[in-house]
Amino acid sequence: MTKSRFIVVLAGNANVGKSVIFNHLTGLHQHIGNWPGKTVEKAEGTLHFRGHTIDIIDLPGIYSLSTFSIEELVSREYIAVETPDVVINVVDASVLERNLFFTLQLMELETPMVVALNQVDMAKKKGIEINYKKLEKTLGVPVIPTVATRGTGVYELLQKSVETIEKGGEKPHQMKYGDEIEKRIEGLSEIVKKVHYPYPARWTAIKLLEKDEQVEREIREIDPEILSAAEKSAREIEDIHGHSCSTVITSERYEIAGCIAREVQHIAPPIKPPMRERLHALTTHKIFGYPIMAIALLAIFSSIFAFGDYTSGLLGDLLYGLEPIFESIFGAEIVGKLIWGGVMEGIIAGVTIALPYIIPFYLILYFLEDSGYLSRIAFLLDNVMHKIGLHGKAFIPVMLSLGCNVPGCLGCRIMETERERLLTAFVVTLVPCAATTVIVLGLVGTFVGVQWALALYIINLLIIFLLGRLAFKALPGEPTALIMEMHDYRVPHLQTVLKQTWFRLMEFIKMAFPLIIVGSLLIKLADVTDLLNPIASVLSPMTVTWLGLPAITGIALIFGVLRKELTLIMLATLLGTADFAHVPNFDFGPVQMIVFALVTMLYIPCIATIAALVREFGWKKALFITVFEIVFAILVGGIAFRLLILAQ
Amino acid sequence: MELRLTDLRDGESGIITSIKIGHRRAHREHGRAGRRWGFRRRLEDMGLTPGTRVTVVKSAPFRGPLEVHARGSRLAIGRRMAERIFVEVKR
Repeated sequence: MTKSRFIVVLAGNANVGKSVIFNHLTGLHQHIGNWPGKTVEKAEGTLHFRGHTIDIIDLPGIYSLSTFSIEELVSREYIAVETPDVVINVVDASVLERNLFFTLQLMELETPMVVALNQVDMAKKKGIEINYKKLEKTLGVPVIPTVATRGTGVYELLQKSVETIEKGGEKPHQMKYGDEIEKRIEGLSEIVKKVHYPYPARWTAIKLLEKDEQVEREIREIDPEILSAAEKSAREIEDIHGHSCSTVITSERYEIAGCIAREVQHIAPPIKPPMRERLHALTTHKIFGYPIMAIALLAIFSSIFAFGDYTSGLLGDLLYGLEPIFESIFGAEIVGKLIWGGVMEGIIAGVTIALPYIIPFYLILYFLEDSGYLSRIAFLLDNVMHKIGLHGKAFIPVMLSLGCNVPGCLGCRIMETERERLLTAFVVTLVPCAATTVIVLGLVGTFVGVQWALALYIINLLIIFLLGRLAFKALPGEPTALIMEMHDYRVPHLQTVLKQTWFRLMEFIKMAFPLIIVGSLLIKLADVTDLLNPIASVLSPMTVTWLGLPAITGIALIFGVLRKELTLIMLATLLGTADFAHVPNFDFGPVQMIVFALVTMLYIPCIATIAALVREFGWKKALFITVFEIVFAILVGGIAFRLLILAQ
Repeated sequence: MELRLTDLRDGESGIITSIKIGHRRAHREHGRAGRRWGFRRRLEDMGLTPGTRVTVVKSAPFRGPLEVHARGSRLAIGRRMAERIFVEVKR
């Protein structure tokens, strides 16, 4: 072998321990980004082994290689077109049949493979023993039993993978379908072989019979006659079986997977239901499931907010303590003001949200996800989420957004289709984040009354429901529905959770910080060049006439673009006091406070959130959501002002 | 007898006979009739193919999703999807 740089791909179902294996293999030498032009995460890492440099790519967790989700498309395209040297298929030993269904599809892509039979310990606890040698023989692919969480078998896995490459990378066996299907697959692949198409001919033939949208479209462009031949064969199969051809093929594939699974595994279920089964029953219970969830979420939120509030204050004090030092270095003139008020305050704003709120949020999120509780929450809340046109899984990004909209937007990736992602992101940007909570409680809660703060939350909730439903009706495409595996409860793998949190945090910093700093600098620039007051008067038709607010609030609202609680901080700075109710010559009564808080709640996803939207959905959609929310907030604010005046 | 999956009692099991969600072809020809075809694929990919034995464990309250066991794993299926899955049950 002359080539010493290899590409190894990890593929498998969701929650089979793929990322744990990935972490074992690559340590901290990894990079998490997006697939070019796609909102699908791409995790890459490098390792050195026996003089080889090996690039490891962790594909998203998927159940099939059809076209249902973007993840599936990305995965199959990568394997077929980029032809990695070997595919490590991570398989959950405790759910062998479903996992083998995916294995069979990977084999059809004809790339050299190694199977990691993972979580054999969990399987054993469920009374499942697997004869992996027999599995190896049946599949014609090396099988290595592993317990990724303990690192068992990972070295052997790597060794076997390199060995497979060194041997020249044998193609896996091809499983045979029923005769009537097999005959047609062979016939079709003979025709496909004659044209140039990046995917293997047999695979293409199967996909044509399955009526795979992408393959059909691409083949039609090459030679439409292949398509009509495929349609004829598919119809014949449909006539024989009485089901659609894709159903027949999927069924057969599952039959083969089931046969293999039954042959290689021996099941002796434990007599007493294990602890995690009872925990599952309790946490998804028709009655008890809900209070348990409420207590768990309440505990999580209150502890994050308490921790965040305290740490944020502490960090703020600490960093603001640097001001005199900066002043002594850069002076109090324009340059000094720009460096401190622009750059440093931007950094401070970023640090005081990122560290105290986002880190604990991510930690807990990954803990919940890895343990399996998140999928139970999705199960319990599915019908609530349906009211806004989403399904249970969307609860996760929505929950994240209560802390910060940025992870909320990034969390939309767990939704399967592009449409669901966009819908969820739209809803997410309307959710009041921690910063918004500070304003509502600090302004309305303190000066007007807690019941009014609560009322604002209820109004926000109603708006989310209303706009969510409207967007759901307006966006074309398939409706959403929950189809989700609930894997067994397990103890989360601490290292993986920590690493995920770390990389997520880095992602946030890289994305949000530059924008926060640039935005902060621009606003400071407007400040030192005395542009703020002219801007406030330009905005006054909106602020004064329509919203009934003092003109100065226009400036505060501009600052809020950086970070929402800056609206309140700016207002205090501009007025020289935080006692908003008693400022002479400043008409800022309860009505104004409520309107101001309401507008702040809705008016714009902050600059970091806009950055997240751009990254996930592109400029156009991000801009649309932003403009829509500004207009909508002003509209609602003006209406609220008039209603409140009437009610007075 | 043939029933919808949602008609099964907790703990009852049956064999899937069909999933009544339009096909893509129907989608092309009759517009909205087949708009859920993607979810049919999804259900099948998750192992809910005709001939598969499914056991309904329970359903979440207020017309929530169903928890089912199929092919050795535990799935949650939204009620509106589950209503379209027909099963043969011995009663």
